[in-house]
Amino acid sequence: MSGLAKQERLAALRASIANIERRPVLSDPVSTQAHAPDQFIVPAPGLVQEVFADERRNTAALLGFALGQARSLLTPVRRAVIYLQMLAEAQEMGLPYGPGLATFGFDPDALVLIRPANIVELLWAVEEALACGAVAAVIADIAGHPKVLDFTASRRLSLRADAGGTSLFLLRYGAWREASAAQLRWHLVPALSATTQFDARAPGETRWRARLERGVIGDRQNQEWLLEWTENGFHIVDDRERRPAQPVERPSLPGDLFADLADRLSEAG
Amino acid sequence: MAAVDRLAAAQMLYIGQNLADAHAMVPDLTAREIDLPLLEAAFGIFADWHSNASPLVAVMNDMNAYGDLVLDITGVSHLFGSELAMLRTMVLRLRQLGYAADGAVASTIGAAWAASHFAPNRVVAADQTGSLLDGLSVAALRLLPMQIAGLTQMGLKQIGQLRGRDRKGLQARFGASLIMRIDQAYGYLEERMTPRLPIAERYAERKFPDPIGLMDDVLMTTHDLGIQLGIRLESEGLGAQAFHLFLYRVDHKVMTLSVNAGSPTREPGHIARLFANRAERLQGEYDAGFGIDMIRLAASSVSPLEASQLGAFSRQDGTDLGRLYDRMSSRLGMFSVVRSAFVDTHIPERAVRLEPVIARSADNPASMPDPEQERPLRLLPMPEPIGITAEVPDGPPMAMTWRRVSYRFVKAEGPERLNAEWWRSGQRLVLVPPATPQELEELKKLGKTPPYIPNVPLFYTWNAVRDYYVAEDAGGRRFWLFRLGIYGVAPNPTWYLHGFFS
Repeated sequence: MSGLAKQERLAALRASIANIERRPVLSDPVSTQAHAPDQFIVPAPGLVQEVFADERRNTAALLGFALGQARSLLTPVRRAVIYLQMLAEAQEMGLPYGPGLATFGFDPDALVLIRPANIVELLWAVEEALACGAVAAVIADIAGHPKVLDFTASRRLSLRADAGGTSLFLLRYGAWREASAAQLRWHLVPALSATTQFDARAPGETRWRARLERGVIGDRQNQEWLLEWTENGFHIVDDRERRPAQPVERPSLPGDLFADLADRLSEAG
Repeated sequence: MAAVDRLAAAQMLYIGQNLADAHAMVPDLTAREIDLPLLEAAFGIFADWHSNASPLVAVMNDMNAYGDLVLDITGVSHLFGSELAMLRTMVLRLRQLGYAADGAVASTIGAAWAASHFAPNRVVAADQTGSLLDGLSVAALRLLPMQIAGLTQMGLKQIGQLRGRDRKGLQARFGASLIMRIDQAYGYLEERMTPRLPIAERYAERKFPDPIGLMDDVLMTTHDLGIQLGIRLESEGLGAQAFHLFLYRVDHKVMTLSVNAGSPTREPGHIARLFANRAERLQGEYDAGFGIDMIRLAASSVSPLEASQLGAFSRQDGTDLGRLYDRMSSRLGMFSVVRSAFVDTHIPERAVRLEPVIARSADNPASMPDPEQERPLRLLPMPEPIGITAEVPDGPPMAMTWRRVSYRFVKAEGPERLNAEWWRSGQRLVLVPPATPQELEELKKLGKTPPYIPNVPLFYTWNAVRDYYVAEDAGGRRFWLFRLGIYGVAPNPTWYLHGFFS
C-alpha cells in the first residue's frame, strides 16, 4: 500500500470514529433571558439535575426545591410532573401530600405519584416518562446508592431528557457522589426561615442554602445562594453582611483601620 | 360412595352405597376419599379450558358432589363440522387425557343432563327431546333422592309417566321442584347458566397447528389479534378499556392476562405494548407447559369511540399522557401509578386518597384543599410517636426526640386545633357483631369458643382532638407535630410527628 493511500484510509477511519463518537449536543444550560438581580435563574428544561441533601430527614427540602423548579416548567402542553419513589421508602420518608402541595403553590392535580417496587422498574418508569412530550419534569427520589444507577444509566437518562426536552431531578442523599452524567448538581441544606412580620416566633418563608457543585447557570459556577421560596418563585436573599457566600479577595487592612483597632485595644486594656 | 367408575358399576356398586357394604360385595375394591376442594378446583380449570370451544362455560354443582360441565354451543358447533363432531372431539379430548368422560348435546340443559347420564354420547335433536326423555328413568330429572324414592314407590319409574299426570297433585306430593325440573327438561321453563368467565362479545382468536411456547411469539400473535380486534371495534365505532388475553395450553389449563387503559382505545400497537409490559411483570410465573395451542384476545368495558384523524393535524406522537399512564400501569400495576384525590374531611390523613390514574373519579369541588391552610409537603403514612418537651397545657413544643435524634426548636407556630368527628362519639369500631346470648349458649353446647372480639375502647372526641404545631429546628427543618388529646381532659395526651414542610 502506498503512503498516500494509507493516509487516505487513516483519514477515512478517523472520520468514521469521529462520527461514532459524535454525541448529541446537550442543551445549553446558559439562560440568556434577562432577569432581575434578585431573581433566581431557573435552569433550562431538558437537563438532569442531581439534588443532594446530607441526610434523609431533609427530604422535604429537596422535594420543595425540585417542585419549585418544576412549577415553572409546566406549560399547557407539558402539563404533568411525575414523582417516583420506591414503595418501601415512602414508609420512612412520607409521600407528597396533596393539600401540602396546594399550600406550597403547586397544583396537586399536576403531580402523579409512581411507586415502583424496585430500582430497575423505577429507572424504566423514569425513562418512559422522559420520552413523553406531555411531561414537564420527572422527580425521582432515590434514598440509597443503588448499583444500577451508574454512569451509564445516568448518561442514558440525560440523553433521553435532552431528546425529549423534559427535566429530570434526581433527589439523592448522603455525602457520597457517584460518577454521573447530570449537567447540574446541587447541594442543598435547609436554612432558618425568614422572619414573619407579625410574629417573631413563627416560621416564615422557606429558605434553602443551595450550592451549585457542578455545572454552570448564567455565568455562575460553584456558587452558593440563599434561596427563599415566595409565591412568585425563587428569590435570592442577600445575606452577605452576615456570611459571605464566597471567600472574597480582600485587600490587606488599610493602615488607619489598623490604627483604630490598636486604639480600641489600648482602651480595653 | 360419591362416584363409581364403569368397572365398579359393572359389579353392581352404586352411588350412595355404604363403603362397608361395597367392600363386602367386592373385596378388592379400590376406594379413595373424595377431596372436594381439589375436585372443585380441577373442574374450574377444566371449565376454563373448555372456553376454547365455546365462550359460555359453567360448572353445575347442584346435582353431584363434583359438578357437571355445561357448554352453550349455540352458534359454535359449525366450527367443528357438526354437533356430533364437536361432542366427539370434546369427549375424546378428555378421554385421551385419561379421564372417563361422557357427554350429550340437547336443546335444554335438563335434557342434556339426562342424556349424558342415562343415554350418553349422543346428539338429541330438538324434536326428539320429548320422546327420549319419556323413556328415561325419573332419576334423570335431577331430583332429590327422596323424590326419586317416592316416585319409584308409586310406580312412576319413567319420565313419560309423569307427563300426563295432574301437575297440582304432583306438586302437592313431591314439591314444586319436581314440576320445575320437568319443565326445565322439556324446555317449558328457561334455565340459565352462570358462565365462569366474563362473556366477551368482542374477541379475536387464533389456533395453532403446532403449539407455541415463547412469550415473544405470544406477544406477536397478540399484536396480530389486536389488529383484527381493532378493525372489528372500529367498524362498530367502539373502543375498549379492558383487554384480556387467554392462553389455552395443550394440557388443559388457561392463563389469563388482563390490562386496562385509562381511556377507550382500539389501537393494536398500544394494546400489544400494554401486554408486553404486563408480560414483563410475569417473569417467573409464565409457564407455557407443553405449549399453547390457542390464543384469544377479548375486549370488555367497551364504549363509543369516534374515529379521529391521524396525520396532518394530529398531536405530536408521544405527547399523550393517557398512553404513558396506561403503559406504566400495565408494567408496574394499576395501584402504583396514582394521583391525589381529595375527600371532604378535615382529618389530614383522610383528606387524600391515592387513586389509580387510569381509573380516576370526578373531583368534588367541595373537597378541594384550601391553599391558605398550613399543610406539610410530605406526610408520613402513619404519625410517629415522639418524645417532646413543651409547656403544659398548650405551649408550643420546644424540643423533640424522633427516631432517636433530638431536635431543638427555635420557632413554632400553633396550635391549629382539629377536632375529632363528633358524630362518631361514643361509638366503637366493630368488625364482627358480638354474639347474642342464645348464640353463646349454642356455641357452648357444641364446645366451641365464641369469636374473639377485641375490647376496643369507645371513641370519645376529647381523646382524639389534635392540636397541630409547625415547629422549626435550628437547622431550618420544619416539622408538623400534633398532640392527641387535651391536657386535663384526655387521660394521657401524646405527641406525634405527622409531616415535613419544605
